[in-house]
Amino acid sequence: MTAALRTQGLVKRYGRTLAVAGVDLEIAPGEIFGLVGPNGAGKTTTIRMLATLLPPSAGEAEICGFSVERQPDEVRRRIGYMPDTFGVYDDMRVWEYLDFFARCYGISAARRRQMVGDLLELVDLADKREDYVQALSRGMQQRLCLAHALVHDPQVLLLDEPASGLDPRARMELRELLRELRSLGKTVIISSHILPELEELCTAVAIIDRGRVLASGPVEQIQARFRQGSVARARILGDAEVVLAAQRFLAAQPEVASVELLPDGRLELALPGDEEASAALLSRAVQAGHRVASFAPAASDLEELFLQITALDEEPVS
Amino acid sequence: MTVDQPPARATSRMPQGLRSFWAGISAVSTKELRGRMRGRRAFVVVTIYLLLLSLFAFGVYQMLHEAAVMRSRFAFDGGFSDGGFSEGGFPGDGFSGSFVSGAISAEIGHALFSGILIVQTLLVLVLAPAFTSGAISMEREKQTLELLITTPLSTLGMVVGKLLSALAYVFLLIVASIPLMAIVFAFGGIGPEDLVRAYLLLFAVAFGVGAVGLFMSALIGRTQVATILSFIIVLGLTIGTVALHTYLVASTPRPDDGGFVAVERHQAPEALLWLNPLVADLDLVCITVPTGYHFTCSYISIVTGRPYFGDSFGGNMQGGMVCPSNGPCFPVDDGFVGEDRGEAVAVGEPVAQEEVELGFPRDTFWPRTAGAFLALGVALTLLSTQLIAPSRRLRSRRHTVSRAPAEGSASPTAGVQP
Repeated sequence: MTAALRTQGLVKRYGRTLAVAGVDLEIAPGEIFGLVGPNGAGKTTTIRMLATLLPPSAGEAEICGFSVERQPDEVRRRIGYMPDTFGVYDDMRVWEYLDFFARCYGISAARRRQMVGDLLELVDLADKREDYVQALSRGMQQRLCLAHALVHDPQVLLLDEPASGLDPRARMELRELLRELRSLGKTVIISSHILPELEELCTAVAIIDRGRVLASGPVEQIQARFRQGSVARARILGDAEVVLAAQRFLAAQPEVASVELLPDGRLELALPGDEEASAALLSRAVQAGHRVASFAPAASDLEELFLQITALDEEPVS
Repeated sequence: MTVDQPPARATSRMPQGLRSFWAGISAVSTKELRGRMRGRRAFVVVTIYLLLLSLFAFGVYQMLHEAAVMRSRFAFDGGFSDGGFSEGGFPGDGFSGSFVSGAISAEIGHALFSGILIVQTLLVLVLAPAFTSGAISMEREKQTLELLITTPLSTLGMVVGKLLSALAYVFLLIVASIPLMAIVFAFGGIGPEDLVRAYLLLFAVAFGVGAVGLFMSALIGRTQVATILSFIIVLGLTIGTVALHTYLVASTPRPDDGGFVAVERHQAPEALLWLNPLVADLDLVCITVPTGYHFTCSYISIVTGRPYFGDSFGGNMQGGMVCPSNGPCFPVDDGFVGEDRGEAVAVGEPVAQEEVELGFPRDTFWPRTAGAFLALGVALTLLSTQLIAPSRRLRSRRHTVSRAPAEGSASPTAGVQP
């Protein structure tokens, strides 16, 4: 089966700056693929090249087997693109906006009418049909833009920072929407620098920094490969004495590298071992009579992972 | 995965390209026109424009009518009213009052025609670039251009759609003026073919100047700058070329032949003025001159280097000599001129005197202007396409590079890292 998206040594050079320095990706159909990286990592440039907006300086990029550079029209028919910053036309109603883009894809008038209604339903804007686009809230515009990317029923969706600038509620709605799209069998490539956003959504991620892919694959696989212990926080019930006793107890355990008392009374444990070791530690602590109210990873797995990986990357450089 | 077709589809390439070209025009212009024609604004503007134009026409009529009546009191039907024309009676006789004879009526018709033509040309010169110079830069500024480019629309179709929809309103204003312009028929002196010429020229100029604005819009990211530059170009085309041409004419050393020259020899190339719509207007005005003498004709004859034989009553050919640019001077028989203004004169060879068919050569200058503007429009439209298309190779390197920092500043996540 053709990969939904494949890049090989994709490079974008601006003068002497390498924005993208040889990106290799292979994404199977139906995946929700996260491009993760700090600002300026090259995510947007990569997505813009995939969206046929920027000619690559070197390398190959294919979408559904069509070359981004040589067959841009074939590619454009198969992608839905949502840029990180986008504007909306003045003087246009919501339905006209979708109708316009549907026209751009040469969709017949009868189908357009049907589809505009369906799409507005999908992105939950059906009641805004006659509103002017510029009067919509940011979150609604974002959803409208996503709807515009769907008018031609594309196989691949390229979403650049779709959740940036959204409040938590709008973000949650967007996540729901993306789940729905996954269930429709679309391949979704989504970029973000906010990791928790992608964590529960993506089937695979690529971590990008300074134009290079540092790691890619299913989230668990990357975790297994790069995990070097974790940090957990525990809350022990009891007064200061009891907590200090628990700290001494935990520090003496073989699974724990160090224990620190946080200002809020919680204990932060550095755990070099895997999850088995953490479980063993926890059960021993409970058996020893420590009243553990909570015991949880300190940060989002992916975020922590991300920090580790980008830190690893920086060492040889500096 | 339903649409995995083999990439090579050379046979269906043409219709596909045509289809996306057409889709581009129809989608973009529908969208643009929806925006522009929404509400009452567009219609109010047409109304106001027509009112002003009518007022102008009425003013011209009043002025000329009074002047003509005054003159006709002295001249009645003698002399000049016969001399100008041989095309028979004018319908304006009954229309414009008992004192106004056919020739005077024709003069009024001619003045109205000239006035409306020039006002409309100025209007086109101002409005066409104003509408088009935002067509593409607005999309850039509002960050909507990329959404358009990622659709399979043909870039050419998109650009043409933009141009046509921006010009549509200008065309609407032009077309709306046709009934007003048709009033000149009531005065006579102007034939339908003159109007056809005038409107052909107007449309060609609108297209060409509109393409200038469009090109500037594609070249320069910011609408204001693009608009200002377009107007500077228009000023250059109208005033600049005439100034340069006049300078070249003036700086040509004059042969010392005692002023017996009707057509000065000079080194100013005629092509310099091809893109000047106002000079073409003068040509159109000259063609329709009812009395046979008009300053426009003298100017056109200087520009084209072709002799001007007009004038039946002024009798002034600067001594009655005509000097084609590339031939010797020959005398002009005053009694003969101005009778037939319709036929083109075979110029170039020093024709035998009695065989010279006199009259100003028709359709020698303005078709070049129209042609030049059409060519300019086509060239600039194609160039604009190249400026927009991201993956076309012709696109200049400077442009690609200079876009990068702009994007970097617009979006915090753009790829360039300092």
